Amino acid sequence: MDVITNLMGGFATCLTPYNLAMAALGAFLGTMVGILPGLGPSATMAIILPITFGMDATPAMIMLCSLYYGAMYGGSTTSILVNVPGEASSVVTAIEGHQLARQGRAGTALGLSAIGSFFAGIIGTIFLAFTASTLAEFSLKFGPAEMFSLVLMGMFTIIYVGGKDVTKSLMSMAIGLGLGTVGTDIVEGKDRFVYGISELLDGIDFVILVMGTFGIAEVLESAEEFMKIVPMKVKFWDLFPSWKDTWYCRWAILRGTLVGFFICCIPGSGPTIASFLSYGVEKSVSKHPEKFGTGVMEGVAGPESSNNAAVSGAMVPMFALGIPGSGATAVLLGGMILYGLKPGPMIFVENADFVWAVMASMFIGNIILIIMNLPLVPVFASLLRIPYGLIYPAILIVCIVGAFAVASGLFEVGMMLVFAVCGYFMKKGDVPAAPMLMALLMGPMMERSLYQALNLSHGSLLVFIQRPISATLLSIIALMSLYVGIRSFKGKKAAIQEAEE
Amino acid sequence: MRKADRIYGVIGLGLSLWCYLESTKFTYMTQFTPGPGFMPFWVGVVLALLSVYLIVDSFVRKPGKKDNAKILPEKHALYRVGAIMLMLVGVRFAMNFLGFPLTIALFTTAILLLLEHYSILKSVGYGVAYAAVTWFVFQYILSMGFPKGILGI
Repeated sequence: MDVITNLMGGFATCLTPYNLAMAALGAFLGTMVGILPGLGPSATMAIILPITFGMDATPAMIMLCSLYYGAMYGGSTTSILVNVPGEASSVVTAIEGHQLARQGRAGTALGLSAIGSFFAGIIGTIFLAFTASTLAEFSLKFGPAEMFSLVLMGMFTIIYVGGKDVTKSLMSMAIGLGLGTVGTDIVEGKDRFVYGISELLDGIDFVILVMGTFGIAEVLESAEEFMKIVPMKVKFWDLFPSWKDTWYCRWAILRGTLVGFFICCIPGSGPTIASFLSYGVEKSVSKHPEKFGTGVMEGVAGPESSNNAAVSGAMVPMFALGIPGSGATAVLLGGMILYGLKPGPMIFVENADFVWAVMASMFIGNIILIIMNLPLVPVFASLLRIPYGLIYPAILIVCIVGAFAVASGLFEVGMMLVFAVCGYFMKKGDVPAAPMLMALLMGPMMERSLYQALNLSHGSLLVFIQRPISATLLSIIALMSLYVGIRSFKGKKAAIQEAEE
Repeated sequence: MRKADRIYGVIGLGLSLWCYLESTKFTYMTQFTPGPGFMPFWVGVVLALLSVYLIVDSFVRKPGKKDNAKILPEKHALYRVGAIMLMLVGVRFAMNFLGFPLTIALFTTAILLLLEHYSILKSVGYGVAYAAVTWFVFQYILSMGFPKGILGI
């Protein structure tokens, strides 16, 4: 009942004209980002973040969150109409969605994806409200030893679950941890990696890193080629799927919602993994799996519901534990720190108004998005006719402005450009940037917890295994590492055998 | 990708050495707790181990599909990426002298004219429009203190 009362309080906060306008603005920007290929939600949130510095935390966060799930809605439009995913989690939608569009059923595919996304968004937010608050209550028992083990587990989970190449993901994480040590240290107040540059005394701002490695690097990759997109035309009245089609997809939508939410509660999974998993589930439970790939409605409804529910799922560890589950939630978490909030279980006590207002706004954001994404799809789809050559200079300008806004100096702009080059080559070499970003965010927290835990135990490392929660978390890391090690060994053995044959 | 992995491995080794050298400037442990040198030391060690693994693996593993993939894009794409980066660096250094709106106008015009092959008129038009909009939003409305430069705006 507490959750419902708190949510009602949240609605009271977020139902002001200003907060509603921010939710609508975020939903609009998110839909645009989802529709236009070449820039993901993480990068956009990072670019927008410095511009929100002057705002209060609640409206700023409402806008960023609605941008995030707005991108999930919008991504399907490009996948269905052009067969080019607007963002990574819509890749799987393109398989069935575009086939449906080619059969003259683009409206059905777009409608089902919007209805599935809406249902998943609402149910996911209800799950988020109940799970995050319960988990936060439990994690109030955490001391420094538990926090250290939790941060460590968060980082390893992100790598083991989400990383394509474990070695490169670990390297990315190590570099992020190294970047996190830049600045004045917490023990003796010594300046590490500063070399007399006063701008580095406070450390490397994560916004600079995100805008470089996600924002500009993504633009550079997209700008490699001239991009020309011709979307299919859809009539307004064709956009609403028949009741029969919607009813037919009801279980696919429900399964997608559950898969998306619960998978994304695990740090590192993210909407992309959730949508692929949901597609796999739909194929395996279907009576006609052979028809998948030829335009199957469940193949659109399931993954689209899944990637929306995944957004709520990824916010559970972010709100409850202060651990980001994906690149996008890392940006949100970083934003919360910049707004002066302390992410983690105490946020439900110290900034309860903020948390519940943001959660309540997610219900409203989803309503705004279904309105935007059903009747306004033809309008948004026409955005695809704007040449990318005109869009990317604007994105680069906003990145420059954003980097400048961090400390009102050009040093940060230069640093962002250095990270952009690094990010571009990391993309080319399949080195994921997300573990680096998360390590930069969580590294100082990990170092502080380690320091506090050892200080309390008078230097005894046993504190990490004597405390049950910490010991459990460390055991999970050990088991995960063992599993990944065995899997990698077996994979290599199979590859050698295959090559020999 | 094998060649790329070796390059990344060498870069990783370089970074790990840097971390190690930095860590030697500080105390590793205080009486009970880690000192300022603790974290850079272990980051260096872990990075070195991973880099060595990446290099060794690139020599030992059987070539797979990904190993045939090129890390660098085609020449014309590389030219586009390089040109955009150069222009961005130009923005970084020109802004103090030229000021925000003029730099943005020149930057947009240069991209549209040289990379997107728009006509001079259109490029300049878009350049001026982008500069005006960004100046109005960020400098006029949001009062961000950009360098003023020779135009004084």
